Amino acid sequence: MRVLRSVAAAAVTVLAAACAFAQGSISDLPRNETLIVENPEGTIKNAGWFNIWAINAGGQSTGLHQLAMDTFWYIDPERGLDGVWDNSLAADKPIYNSAFTRMTVKLRKGIYWSDGTEFSADDVVYTIQTHLKTNGLRWSAPIQVNVDSVSATDRYTVVFKLKKPNSRFHALFTVRWNAMWIMPRHVFEKAGDPLKFDFAPPVTLGPYVLHAYDPNGKWFIWQLRSDWQRTAIARYGKPGPKYVAYIDGGPPDKRVIAQLNHQLDIVHDTSPEGMFTLAKQSKTSHGWFKGFPYAHPDPTLPAVIFNDQLDLFKSRDVRWALALLIDIKAVSMASYRGAATISAIGIPPTGSHPDVYHAPLESWLKDFELDTGKRRVKPYDPSVGKQIADMLRASMGEQIPADPNQIAKAFGRGWWKPDPQAAQELLEKAGFAKRADKWYTPDGKPFAIKILVEGESRPVMTRAGSMIAQQWRQAGIDASTVVAQGSLSDRRNAGDFEAIIGWSVETWGGHPDLSFFLDSWHSQFVAPPGRPQPPRNWQRWSHPELDKIIEQIRRTGFDDPKALELGREYVKLAVREMPTIPLMSYNVFTTMDDTYWTGYPDAEAQPYTNPVPNWANTRYMMVRLRARQ
Amino acid sequence: MKGYSVYLLGRLGQFVLVVFIGINIAFIVTHATPIDPVEQSIAAATQFGSTSPEAIALMRQSLSELYGLSGTRWEQYSVFWKRVAAGDFGPSLSAFPTPVSALIGRALPWTVGLLAVSTLIAWVLGNLLGGLAGYYRDSKLLRFAGVLAMAFHPIPYYIVAFVLLIVFGYVWPVLPISGGYMMNMKPAFELPFIASLVQHSILPALSLILVGLGTWFMGMRSLVSNIVTEDYVTYAELAGVDQRRILVSYVMRNALAPQVTGLAMSIGGMFTGAIITEQVFGYPGIGTLLVSAVHAGDYSLVLGITSVSIVAVSVAVLLVDLLYPLLDPRVRTR
Amino acid sequence: MLRILRDLFRHNREFAVGVVLLTAVLVVAAMSFVSPYPPNDSFVVPPDLPPSWPHILGTTSRGQDVFWQLTCAIRNTLLFGFTVAILSRIFALAIGLVSGYAGGLIDRALMSINDTFIVIPLFPVLVLFYFVLRDSMSWVLLALVMACLGWAYDARLIRSVAMSLRTREFTETSIFSGMSTRQILLQEHLPYVLPIVFSTTMNNINWSIGLEVTLSVLGFTDINTPTIGVMIYWANQHTAMVAGIWWWIAFPVALVVITFIGLFLLAVSMNEYIDPRSRLSRVAA
Repeated sequence: MRVLRSVAAAAVTVLAAACAFAQGSISDLPRNETLIVENPEGTIKNAGWFNIWAINAGGQSTGLHQLAMDTFWYIDPERGLDGVWDNSLAADKPIYNSAFTRMTVKLRKGIYWSDGTEFSADDVVYTIQTHLKTNGLRWSAPIQVNVDSVSATDRYTVVFKLKKPNSRFHALFTVRWNAMWIMPRHVFEKAGDPLKFDFAPPVTLGPYVLHAYDPNGKWFIWQLRSDWQRTAIARYGKPGPKYVAYIDGGPPDKRVIAQLNHQLDIVHDTSPEGMFTLAKQSKTSHGWFKGFPYAHPDPTLPAVIFNDQLDLFKSRDVRWALALLIDIKAVSMASYRGAATISAIGIPPTGSHPDVYHAPLESWLKDFELDTGKRRVKPYDPSVGKQIADMLRASMGEQIPADPNQIAKAFGRGWWKPDPQAAQELLEKAGFAKRADKWYTPDGKPFAIKILVEGESRPVMTRAGSMIAQQWRQAGIDASTVVAQGSLSDRRNAGDFEAIIGWSVETWGGHPDLSFFLDSWHSQFVAPPGRPQPPRNWQRWSHPELDKIIEQIRRTGFDDPKALELGREYVKLAVREMPTIPLMSYNVFTTMDDTYWTGYPDAEAQPYTNPVPNWANTRYMMVRLRARQ
Repeated sequence: MKGYSVYLLGRLGQFVLVVFIGINIAFIVTHATPIDPVEQSIAAATQFGSTSPEAIALMRQSLSELYGLSGTRWEQYSVFWKRVAAGDFGPSLSAFPTPVSALIGRALPWTVGLLAVSTLIAWVLGNLLGGLAGYYRDSKLLRFAGVLAMAFHPIPYYIVAFVLLIVFGYVWPVLPISGGYMMNMKPAFELPFIASLVQHSILPALSLILVGLGTWFMGMRSLVSNIVTEDYVTYAELAGVDQRRILVSYVMRNALAPQVTGLAMSIGGMFTGAIITEQVFGYPGIGTLLVSAVHAGDYSLVLGITSVSIVAVSVAVLLVDLLYPLLDPRVRTR
Repeated sequence: MLRILRDLFRHNREFAVGVVLLTAVLVVAAMSFVSPYPPNDSFVVPPDLPPSWPHILGTTSRGQDVFWQLTCAIRNTLLFGFTVAILSRIFALAIGLVSGYAGGLIDRALMSINDTFIVIPLFPVLVLFYFVLRDSMSWVLLALVMACLGWAYDARLIRSVAMSLRTREFTETSIFSGMSTRQILLQEHLPYVLPIVFSTTMNNINWSIGLEVTLSVLGFTDINTPTIGVMIYWANQHTAMVAGIWWWIAFPVALVVITFIGLFLLAVSMNEYIDPRSRLSRVAA
């Protein structure tokens, strides 16, 4: 027993000694000069690698692409500091010839790399030529497919000659999450093989340089450049935080705890329940919306993506029937606890899109008719957004807006009214039969659907998938979910699935152009069954009318209003055909803590950028953030 | 002595065979993954940006060449053994071109440090308490300790770890809950760093000890209670030998052999890391590496970690077999 | 047999408590067959209610009744644990006894196979099975896989006991009296290793349930079949720990703990009964 006592005494001593040391999560940095941000990439396997042009070798959103990189243009997913479009390294918008075979870029003067070398057209030409010469760099393939040659006509002008007409070539250099970054020629020239060079520490064009990092990849700390005025973002003033730390936040519960302890200023994402906990327990924490639904709607559209090449889903009647069996209110509750922004059409309800697409198409949707084979029904219910708001008001009270415009912004407009009768008629029209409350396919097999969900990494989508499976089950379809985890992208690309909860629609957000995803929906890119499908047409759907729309957009300028009209044509076609069932925007519960910093973007007062911190666009946040103390 | 050396040779042969078969199975298993590292890289590179479909096809081709995945399985198999002979596992496919050995080398010290210490502490405490509980079977306190250990034992480790984290990280926030040491610190052999290191390892270690304790306790308790009824113990008691001496030299010593086996196996088995510990406490180590490698279809890295673990466990089993006759005089080599 | 059990129940408090606890757990598990809610459906009751009548253990954030979920979960988890334990015990006993008794080449060959199973790390193998089996992954398959992977260590333990039994006099006597190897192993050696089998069974069940929870927490599981692990998985997806929905986690864990205390008490008292020596000591005392 004496042994035990001494063991216990020793344990207590160690504990006491350890606790006696200073608390805090960062050593030697003033907390009021440091912004601590969650990096959703988690632990970086290969922390000492900063060559972002090599695929996958190191981290990206460790602050590297937000604070250290730069390129010609940025498109903001929200309003932007000075409009949606921002000329960063370029002095002006891209200049195309009339055939869209040549793009000229005028560069900004007086921009310097962090080692004091001036940025010039030579860097751009070097970057492009390296990608032309080297296979396997992150942007090698798109450059090799598009660029015939590149040249600098003077120190601040670059001319790209394209292999074929492309009115959207500038998109490659326009940051929406990320874009092709410019390499420092004077560093890479001496480095040898660009695929095997670690670029550590990085020589930056952005306003920050690397201060320190954890060799185990848990944190990266960036420091404001003393010559930050010689970077492109200096036009908007001095960035507030002197240091920015990007850290691995751990499991969702833990991120909530870290912010409650004021050790994590920006949580990238957490569960809806985690968000509610923060809103309840911390006076200083808030999301994109000040109150419910808190989350930032990313310009991404989660949907039920069918594998339209399977016989099961070849008929649009079947796809429509399945849509009419979904009660979106229950899906919204199950996935986001109501904090979702729903969309009936194939466009994310975020950024500029509600004004350009959702509002103008509302009356068309109300009149839209569906032929069930027995009768014509009007499936659209414009009041679903309001119904969700009313349902939530019962428990949330004043937090829930009553103004129809605000409701539309926060919860979305209408959706398809659940209509089991019409669904039954549609399925029967497609040759399906119901016996003893179970549906059978035209060839007599039980109608079964496995819905692929990603699991841990996208919990909200998993929850939506489970609810949809349940609703289909209740209608007599043998539906269940399968958690695919890491194999999701393989199975999605290979077409090895029946349905996925995921997205094949992503847009710029702030800019209404749809080419970001729509161009890849052209039938020329649809792979035959069994072959890998390039992004993003995971549903492998093609339609002659869609091809016509896409081809016209390709010949239309980026800012031409005619392109928006064509975009609305796409929406109508997609409603008639229902290739995927659009659900809602991907709402991200980015939570910001005001204890040390203020000036974060928000939905009402200053929607100047997307707060979701793994977006490279969040660098604009730095110039607005101010220390509280 | 000749008998022992023949046994030794045979046993060494068995060791080599087991390692060889084990690594071969690991090769087959890891390469059977349906996750294609090239597709993962493409997904990572194109997930948020807009990349034209032709470009993707080109990217797929050049990455396969770059990663050296174009050969047949047999070619990959022979390349693998050539690399092992040269002392490495080639480049990682999810952190190309960084060598697998560099990634493992960076994570392994953390895993070994945390797990070796906590396993040893749990082993010593568990055996001590278990021995006492088995010997003094009528002690109310120790009986209660037994039920307590049993109650603690089946609580899922994840829950234990998270409850500790909430208690010491939030309710009574006295201990750090993330990382291996404080942010912005440079690893160095200095007091502040070592203090930070110890501080950060308390919760992970405590969680592992709490959960590990039960197994050793239960094992030792049942071993000792069996031995106590042996004749020689009764004789010793009748002969008036000091109780403490009976407990230590007569009982515990004889009960120790299987426990030492268990310890060796645990130490050998720790080379795949403590996945949940690392995830909950954000502690660096090999488990996180393994999970992310599995998700990314990086079979080079999975195979590297698996091989290290196979060798470690095999060595542990070998040592146990070679030392067993010395620990337990009743078992003689045949 | 029944009389023995009755006597044990009357005179051995540990046995009695163990039986009561396990019976309670089994009753809960059996109630899954009369559950008013389909185990897979969500939002059938109001979400996030703390324990109160009629939802005695509260409701989850998915709108499920914790008690009725738990009946299903504990049933599946117990079935899972016992399946793994029983199958792997059979493997371990067969390999361990034969190897220890036969010695020589047979021993070496069997131990090579055995050691190979010991050295192969579990996690990558299990995850690979998950990826390869994909849509058909279920707890039954997982149980089979884990039984195949979970016997080797205990086979070694049994072998070491069998080796020392081999040198005992009574084995020689049996051989001279003309008993076959099978008879010796089953009639003479088996009773001696049974205490080990019982205690390893407990550890094995604990191990397999623990691993099932770990795989669930990491998301490598069939989320359509409620088990204790899947309940924790869903609670995690809803950050129940920080959201204050403690009953979603505490009750499943408590039930597992009760199960194990019951099993433990039963094993302790059974061991004393089976092991002839400790029974003698009891009589003497």
